[in-house]
Amino acid sequence: MLDLSFLPSGRGGAVTDLPDDQDDAQTFAMDAAAFSHPSFVLPSVADPVAWMKHQMSDAAENRIKMAKGTTTLAFKFKDGIIVAVDSRATGGTYIASQSVKKIIEINPYLLGTMAGGAADCSYWERELGRRCRVYELRNKERISVAAASKLLSNMVYAYKGMGLSMGTMVVGWDKTGPALFYVDSDGQRLKGDLFSVGSGSTFAYGVLDSGYHCNLSIEEAIDLGRRSIYHATFRDAASGGSVLIYHVRQDGWQVISRTDVTELHYQYAEEPRPSLL
Amino acid sequence: MQMYEEQKSSCPVKVPVECRFSPYTDNGGTTLAIAGDDFCVIAGDTRQSEGYSINSRYAPKVYQLSNGSVLATGGMYADGVTLVKMIEQRLEWYRHAHDKQMSSGALAQMLSTILYHKRMFPYYVWNTLGGLDEDGKGAVYSYDPVGSYEKQKWNCSGSAGHLIQPFLDNQIGFTHQKEKAPLTLERVVQVTKDAFTSATERDIYTGDNLEMFLVTQNGIEKTRVELKKD
Amino acid sequence: MEALFGITGKGFVLTASDTTMARSIVIMKHGEDKSRVLNKNTLMMYTGEAGDTVQFAEYVQRNVQLYGIRNGVPLSAHATASYTRRELAKALRTRNPYHVNLLIAGTDPKTETPELYWLDHMASMVKMPFAAQGYASYFCMSTMDRYWKPDMTLEEAKALMQKCIDELKIRFIASLPQFTIKIVDKDGIRDVQL
Repeated sequence: MLDLSFLPSGRGGAVTDLPDDQDDAQTFAMDAAAFSHPSFVLPSVADPVAWMKHQMSDAAENRIKMAKGTTTLAFKFKDGIIVAVDSRATGGTYIASQSVKKIIEINPYLLGTMAGGAADCSYWERELGRRCRVYELRNKERISVAAASKLLSNMVYAYKGMGLSMGTMVVGWDKTGPALFYVDSDGQRLKGDLFSVGSGSTFAYGVLDSGYHCNLSIEEAIDLGRRSIYHATFRDAASGGSVLIYHVRQDGWQVISRTDVTELHYQYAEEPRPSLL
Repeated sequence: MQMYEEQKSSCPVKVPVECRFSPYTDNGGTTLAIAGDDFCVIAGDTRQSEGYSINSRYAPKVYQLSNGSVLATGGMYADGVTLVKMIEQRLEWYRHAHDKQMSSGALAQMLSTILYHKRMFPYYVWNTLGGLDEDGKGAVYSYDPVGSYEKQKWNCSGSAGHLIQPFLDNQIGFTHQKEKAPLTLERVVQVTKDAFTSATERDIYTGDNLEMFLVTQNGIEKTRVELKKD
Repeated sequence: MEALFGITGKGFVLTASDTTMARSIVIMKHGEDKSRVLNKNTLMMYTGEAGDTVQFAEYVQRNVQLYGIRNGVPLSAHATASYTRRELAKALRTRNPYHVNLLIAGTDPKTETPELYWLDHMASMVKMPFAAQGYASYFCMSTMDRYWKPDMTLEEAKALMQKCIDELKIRFIASLPQFTIKIVDKDGIRDVQL
């Protein structure tokens, strides 16, 4: 039998050198609270999940509509990561907003994108930001993008099947270099070089895949991201507004541009089609 | 109202019976908020309806909060009342804890969290929060029922929201136009009145009275304008 | 549309898993390894519901590793499969069961006996000399019935695996362009090329 007495007991993490005073108990109690899941008010029915599904369905007398319909993308290249998104929010066929910020600044070196339920994305990515800060204070070190994305996927996985709707990319730069993860409300978490999420993602992939290679220059990469979103807003009615672009580098993220797609439409119309050969 | 017969059975085991649970209704009404450089106008009509019935001609759904912000609620009236009570309690606790008023930016984030904590049983309310921000500039925040929010310059939601919002985009934002008129308080008040009188002509859930809150550094002025009552 | 294979030979199990991750009609990623190393001589491959697969596989992985640490003896492939089946069965009787299909491949480092277990999300477990998960089984079980024999050499097993993958390319409507091939034997788990 191995001696495992060196492991801390109880709910606390692997903190081995705490000062020997009465603050110990409080430290551990705070840890548990800092990482526990938030609780939500539930309706008094036998099956709250089915009830909520009904309230959000077309059949409900007073339907609760959630903002949906999006195109977002992110890809790695030799000089970092480009993140590009549209800015439209729709409630059914009504355009609720043309100015949504679908890139969420989790902290100065982590970004998250927003697709699916707007409230779900912004709440959980804010919660992720808080947890990353707690991690930083405990470990005196920034959290890796892999760990941050796993925190997010574990949080939403705990609510799987309860109607959360979230398709996000967690993007940043850590000790291992640039990192890009896809995380959704099913609990799926994928590491990759290139992702697009949302109702317009297939259109964005069509442009992105055909123009992508790792050795793009910064200008080429920004242009590819912008064009991909533009073409998605052109074909997908649920995407539109303007294209917002961020560039992630070693020293953190940077806002590149925000351009109305109408402006892009006339700008691109002037340009000749690229050579196919 | 549905009537239920008492269930009789020879079975000795009592089975729980779930009654129809539909806690939501739409009481209609329209709310609007416009932010200027150093002021904010928050307005709403005062009609309360259910189906084709008018419950009240004066049931205000725009509330002046104790921190100097103004909250306009639309959708289900009862949920709006409950929500405002809850917010007022949290504002009071904040004053006791910090000995100062909550800023409008902090209130905006708190409202989002309050709404999201009922993600599985939402408040059936579309909120618009208006006031002055930390720099004394006009600020408008609009929400969906589960707490997604965005800071805007102008917003109209509720039953005539889809009628008025494009009008505001044109008259307040001057979208796709070369000439832009300066946004004075007088002009904003006039646009608000025009929006509501016109919406009253086309939306059955908007009418009776228009209640406006004019927020400036000097305080909050509440005014009422009569709308058509048909 | 996911596919997993396992073929036992003399002192080893040869495994293959496709590397495509799809969501709705979109391929989100090529080159994902759909397996977890449970301990030095045991490999778990998984397909099924997004999210459930990795959560379940990593849960089992950590518990199998904890067993090894606590007892100083690694859990055998058979015990691992039994434990995994029991966890699936327990989850099946709750409100949110794991929707995961598995192949567990192991080779006893002392006796050099290869073992292959097939498990589905309804918590069935079968020990098999060769196995496939998903639609691939409709195409390739017959191929393996025809060509498999006990105590195959690695070269023979590789040839059989190639036959299975070729058959999918000819007859299966979904494109599975790439497979991760691994060998599980007394020395551990390694990637190999066919």
